[in-house]
Amino acid sequence: MFATSTQRSFWMFKDENDVSNARLSANIKYISSRGRNMTAEERELQFLNVTEEKILIMSYEYQLRDFCRKFLPPMPRYVIGTALHYLKRFYVNNSVMDYPPKEILVTCVYLACKVEEFNVSMDQFVGNLKGDREKAASIILNNELLLMQQLDYQLTVHNPFRPLEGLMIDMKTRFPTFSDPERLRSGIDEFLEQVFYTDAILIYSPSQISLAAIIHSASTSKENVDEYITKILFSEDQKRLLNLIEAVKKIRVMVRNVQTPHRDVIKALEKKLQLCCNTDNNSESPAFKKRMKQSFDDEESFEDGQYPSADSDQVRSMLMGMSEMGKI
Amino acid sequence: MDGNDQTCPKCKTTKYRNPAMILMVNACGHALCESCVELLFAKGSGACPECKCPLRRNNFRIQLFEDPAVDKEVDIRKRILKEFNKRQEDFSTLREYNDYLEEVENIIFNLVFDVDSTNTNKMIDNYKKENKDITMKNRNRQSQEEIELEELLEAEKAQQSEKANSYVNAELEEKKQKHKAREKLIDELMFSDADAKSIVASHVQATAALAKEQPKAAAQAGGPVVKSSKFSSGIQIGLRQNTSSFLPIPKQQDLPLFHYSAPVFDYNGPSPPAIEVLGKLKYFANIRAANATERAGGYTEALSCCRALQEAMGGLFYIPQSGHKTAVAASAEETDDMETA
Repeated sequence: MFATSTQRSFWMFKDENDVSNARLSANIKYISSRGRNMTAEERELQFLNVTEEKILIMSYEYQLRDFCRKFLPPMPRYVIGTALHYLKRFYVNNSVMDYPPKEILVTCVYLACKVEEFNVSMDQFVGNLKGDREKAASIILNNELLLMQQLDYQLTVHNPFRPLEGLMIDMKTRFPTFSDPERLRSGIDEFLEQVFYTDAILIYSPSQISLAAIIHSASTSKENVDEYITKILFSEDQKRLLNLIEAVKKIRVMVRNVQTPHRDVIKALEKKLQLCCNTDNNSESPAFKKRMKQSFDDEESFEDGQYPSADSDQVRSMLMGMSEMGKI
Repeated sequence: MDGNDQTCPKCKTTKYRNPAMILMVNACGHALCESCVELLFAKGSGACPECKCPLRRNNFRIQLFEDPAVDKEVDIRKRILKEFNKRQEDFSTLREYNDYLEEVENIIFNLVFDVDSTNTNKMIDNYKKENKDITMKNRNRQSQEEIELEELLEAEKAQQSEKANSYVNAELEEKKQKHKAREKLIDELMFSDADAKSIVASHVQATAALAKEQPKAAAQAGGPVVKSSKFSSGIQIGLRQNTSSFLPIPKQQDLPLFHYSAPVFDYNGPSPPAIEVLGKLKYFANIRAANATERAGGYTEALSCCRALQEAMGGLFYIPQSGHKTAVAASAEETDDMETA
């Protein structure tokens, strides 16, 4: 349950400022470690600041959703939700410049498929990617452990979808005056899609979010479900009702303020990212290639099919074509 | 590897037919099944069928090990160690003790594999002559230890039997007492002139008082008689040099009885209806019914309905708080930045 979960205990924030502070500290840490000898203006030019990072992450969240939408076999909503959760959590603690988001993105989806028991084999999974499949597979597998570590191995995520179903059932049973809550479905689905681009999932509980979705959808179709909430859900606890109303209001505000980032802005930021990113973790850099080659030479055998065979020519050709990964 | 060795070398077929066959092994290390042994000694001859060495009936032992050669070695070892029974304390250095042990092993090896047996036997006789007294002393010491162990075992047994007896006695006593009390009551009712009710009442009181006293009396009478190990002057009884190494058994404490308390879940939200009442409250009309395969597997609509409702209700009262580790660290960092800037 959410109330006893690690999500509530370790991955919740007080409000949006809290989340931004966490991102800020990750950003500062990276900049200070890389740009030790620069002045403030140089740093500003060279590195991304927090707002720019946020925009980039949002664009990657859109990319993730697109990737999952085209995924075969068709991916259920909660897997996408979990993957987005992971992505958000990862980049709360780490800077975008430190780990390339493209790779983390695919790893998040892969891990989410595993955790939510949506069985997809690696071959099936990389079949959905364009470009060299073996390479992609090796990237995902290399990053998987890193991702889990950054998530503190707390992988259970509570999404708003099941609470939504529960509220629907409850409304139909205990609030029959409101005819056919299924009408609200499309509005709800839209709302829930948008809410994943905000930080609301890191601040409010999933049932609060789903309730906000219902209220929002109801108000857009000019209906009123307040009676349900006051009379039936909160009949015993009037004071908590105020708390909930505020939460719902804030969630709706956050969703309303979601802005799809502009494509040119994103392109510019990506270019900047290429310059300032951490080359040790970026699979296209020569430093990474060198590291990979060294690890092949050190290790004795790779029979489990995870790593490509330790032939230096193969390695080189594999690494050469890596830029195709960007076509996700 | 089914059964030991399977074939008796003499009658060959019988072992296959009878898996309960027991192999006996003789002093020269060869195996023979029981019936063959009897056969051999019924005829009066005493030669091993394989190596023709003369045998005696009582030299045949039931085989303990799969390989009869092992049995042979075990026998020889036992025999030798009865003679060569020196211990580490008899030697001044560890090196000497080890040399002695190696000598013993050599002798045993020679005897088992019939290597140079004449010389070996000579060595054994020499050793026997030289070390007769030490051997005797060691033998006595060993037997003393055995005696001590036996004494301990006996003491335990005695204790147990005493306990059993005391229980039986206590029960008998109780029965007798009850009987007596009843008879007394009847006598009083018959012969005394007092009021019947008051007599019965006083009797009830008396029995209650007796019942309370009885456990106290039992505790005071003490358990079985313990064999004392010391004279009153402090001298130890018996030949024991070391005191008994048994610690007193810790008293069994009466722990509180187990009390089942149902687990309580904190939903942090309005409480959802319990799974048992969902049908009554007509929730099932709004959920997909379980098809036959699912129901056969144990799934009912109540389960998913209950789960959905629990998740829906859970967390509705949640107030945002900061649980995240960097949030705490970040605020500390910020104050640092402010100080240095």
